[in-house]
Amino acid sequence: MLQAAILIVAQAIILLTVSPYIVGLIRKVKARLQCRRGASVFQPYADLAKLFRKQPVVSDATSWIFTATPYLLFASTLAAGLLVPVFLSHTPLNFAGNIIALVYLFALGTFFLILAGLDAGSAFGGMGSSREAIVASLTEPAMIMSIFAIALTAGSTNLSTIVHKTALLEGIVTDPSPHLMAFAALFIVALAETGRVPVDNPATHLELTMIHEAMVLEYSGRYLALVEWAAGLKLLVFLTLIVNIFAPWGIATSLAPGALGLGLAVYLIKVSSLAVVIGVIESMFAKLRLFRITDLLGVAFILALLGMIFFYIMRG
Amino acid sequence: MLPISPQIGSQMVDLGSALLLLTCFAIIAQRRLSACVDMFALQSVFLAATAVMVAFLTGIHHIYIAAALTVIIKAVVIPRILKQVVERLNVKRELEMNVNIPAGLLICGGLVMLAFFITQPIIPLGFLLTRDSLAIALAIILIGFFTMIARKKAVTQVIGFLVMENGLFLGATAAAYGMPLIVELGVFFDVLVGALIIGIYTHRLQDAFDSVDTTKFTTLKE
Repeated sequence: MLQAAILIVAQAIILLTVSPYIVGLIRKVKARLQCRRGASVFQPYADLAKLFRKQPVVSDATSWIFTATPYLLFASTLAAGLLVPVFLSHTPLNFAGNIIALVYLFALGTFFLILAGLDAGSAFGGMGSSREAIVASLTEPAMIMSIFAIALTAGSTNLSTIVHKTALLEGIVTDPSPHLMAFAALFIVALAETGRVPVDNPATHLELTMIHEAMVLEYSGRYLALVEWAAGLKLLVFLTLIVNIFAPWGIATSLAPGALGLGLAVYLIKVSSLAVVIGVIESMFAKLRLFRITDLLGVAFILALLGMIFFYIMRG
Repeated sequence: MLPISPQIGSQMVDLGSALLLLTCFAIIAQRRLSACVDMFALQSVFLAATAVMVAFLTGIHHIYIAAALTVIIKAVVIPRILKQVVERLNVKRELEMNVNIPAGLLICGGLVMLAFFITQPIIPLGFLLTRDSLAIALAIILIGFFTMIARKKAVTQVIGFLVMENGLFLGATAAAYGMPLIVELGVFFDVLVGALIIGIYTHRLQDAFDSVDTTKFTTLKE
């Protein structure tokens, strides 16, 4: 019991401390590719610390939703992160929810962020919310389908079971095609959900193209810090989900200290390399026009659907 | 004795045909004509790789020849002809289609399921290790056919036709370890000549109408 509690707290601390580093790493990679030196990878920590010290300004026109949303968003994202195996294949909280709970914990945070964007009544907030609603409604079917494709091959919707089976090479070697399709679909979904290029540009301050930035335009001080931290956390949870479902090799399958240490080291290397890949993708591709996003997410949905169909075809 | 087990080999063939189907969807989702041509070339490379895998597993040598011809003709020569056509026409991308891209993708997803349900009663009767690819081959043929219907530009219609041919090749490999070599050679020659004729004919279309939109044909009068 105590051991489980320690593991849960350790996982929460790792997720919270690593997420600003991942955000900083992606910025650094982009800066290097643009021939700039760029800020240190630890800059986001300083930004968060500064924002927490600042006094927040809240508009008179807002309701309780505006002040409650940052806490709700942060809590739901962290709860989602605790359901995903990070460095140990059996998370202590795996009884609390499966992969479908994970999807809807993210959706809960997104829903409240959309409401908060509308709450202040500014034109940009409403526009950002409307766009976020489009993207969220298009990513959800793709994400659910790709998750079903993985769950079918593993025979379970429990994330710990899926990761454990794959880590012991019980699932992926018998079905490479569904996994490949589901991987491609989930990667596109991760880019769209976390507001990266080609769907949204996290570095933009041009009002006409913003999605996530437009929604959080009214936030300041500790509220903004929480929203930013939650966004970094969401990115990290998606990266964790992808590396641990599709390449869980090296993850600790037992509680031995050596295995745990190795699992943690391998996890950090894998997540960092995926973050570098995202940084390179952001430098290589232009942002899509808003009305072309449906094409990209349509591709993600079809890929996930194919993953599921292949599971049935390939069994002959 | 084979160096790899038949089960792993069969999975490699499955994976190859899955990649073939994936490139079909890339063609459907792509607006830029030159990227469509590149995707077709990539698809032909995957087809050749799958054929080599089948040849390696079965020890049937003439499939190697067919695979080599696939690479030369479909991955090098025909894409080069099509690229020239695209370059000479000043049409870089297709903006108007009969079916828009998201709807096209969904229809193609439906076609894959249709192909799967049609072949489902037949596949368990087969004994070849490539039998699972039959469903995918049928799906590729249907998607190629759909591309010819959905797109208006002559170049993408040619690509749809060539995709259908790739699907037939995969189907023949899946159902019977490939056709006799002489038939295969005849088909390759036909496809090459077909692509050449359509290329020239597209130029004529451009000259006559200042566009390669095949819907313009409805205005032809005697």
